[in-house]
Amino acid sequence: MEHGAEMEGRVRELRARVDEVDRELVRVLNERARIVQEIMAIKAEVGAPVYDPRREEEILRGVVEQNEGPIYDASMRDIFELILHRIRDLEIQRGEFSR
Amino acid sequence: MDLIQSGVKTNVKTSNGMIRPNTFRVIAGPCTVESYDQFVASAKAVKGAGFEYVRGGAFKPRTSPYSFQGLGEEGLRILSEVSGDLGLRAVTEVLDPQDVELVMEHAPILQIGARNMANFALLKAVGSAIAGSAEHGVILKRGFAATVEEWLLAAEYVTSAGGDNVVLCERGIRTFETSTRFTLDLSAVIVAKRLTDLPVIVDPSHAAGRRDLVVPLSKASVAAEADGLMVESHHEPQEALCDAEQALPAEALVGLRETLQPFASAMGREVV
Repeated sequence: MEHGAEMEGRVRELRARVDEVDRELVRVLNERARIVQEIMAIKAEVGAPVYDPRREEEILRGVVEQNEGPIYDASMRDIFELILHRIRDLEIQRGEFSR
Repeated sequence: MDLIQSGVKTNVKTSNGMIRPNTFRVIAGPCTVESYDQFVASAKAVKGAGFEYVRGGAFKPRTSPYSFQGLGEEGLRILSEVSGDLGLRAVTEVLDPQDVELVMEHAPILQIGARNMANFALLKAVGSAIAGSAEHGVILKRGFAATVEEWLLAAEYVTSAGGDNVVLCERGIRTFETSTRFTLDLSAVIVAKRLTDLPVIVDPSHAAGRRDLVVPLSKASVAAEADGLMVESHHEPQEALCDAEQALPAEALVGLRETLQPFASAMGREVV
């Protein structure tokens, strides 16, 4: 019984840390999106296309290079691919309805 | 009410004149060059309907090796002679990297078909062969099981090899639906146009596989921001050697321009 309470306390503490990390992730993801928005605004001004697979590949390789685990390189790539595409899609849709 | 939303790109173009800003390009013609007489009759119908681009296959990627495979080099000669005589520009499919130069001699526009969208050797061969040409261009069909991302990356193979004037063509994808041959994915047209500056056209004939749907799907393509169409037409569809059930007869082709123009006007385009 004593042991169970101790474990529960420890898990609660770890979950609080996870929540803290998640809050930080949400903050930096939105920071990333805002920077991309600035890039997109410049691209729109000069008429450059949104799609840039060469740059995407550069980002994904960089992410994998920096990855120290325990998340697998391939998984990290998947996660970032989703981040890249969701932020890109957000931008495309903003262009459609903002004016 | 202004039907043209801010995100609609009607100003894309290719430097060889195939796609011009604020126009809607129609490419028509038979699935296959079957004979001189057949092709000249079909091409005259395209010309008579007021269109400038004629399609016709010489090399045909058929599902069965026992189906008619096209006339090959003889078909190419008929294609270039007839299109030259009528002042039309020809579009034809290339299947093999070895044939790229030969096909380029006979047609300015090379088509890479859905079955070859991920044939990277062919994509690179076509890209480097047309690099620097002011006249040639490529129509890259979407594979019927390819995502938009995969389709755009296939186009990158052509452009990164130096190929210019790449036009994407949506031609339907495989779904569970059986009332049409494929399912025309018009959302892919819009998504592709949002992501790139490459022109996007639609092939409603192969998507539907039946001629009664070709005109309605063509109208829908105009509204879905496409830059043009590639439709199959035949002077005598009942006698066509392939894809007979989806070819528009000559009289329907004449009406197509008039039918589409009001929709194109709403999008700020002229049907050419």
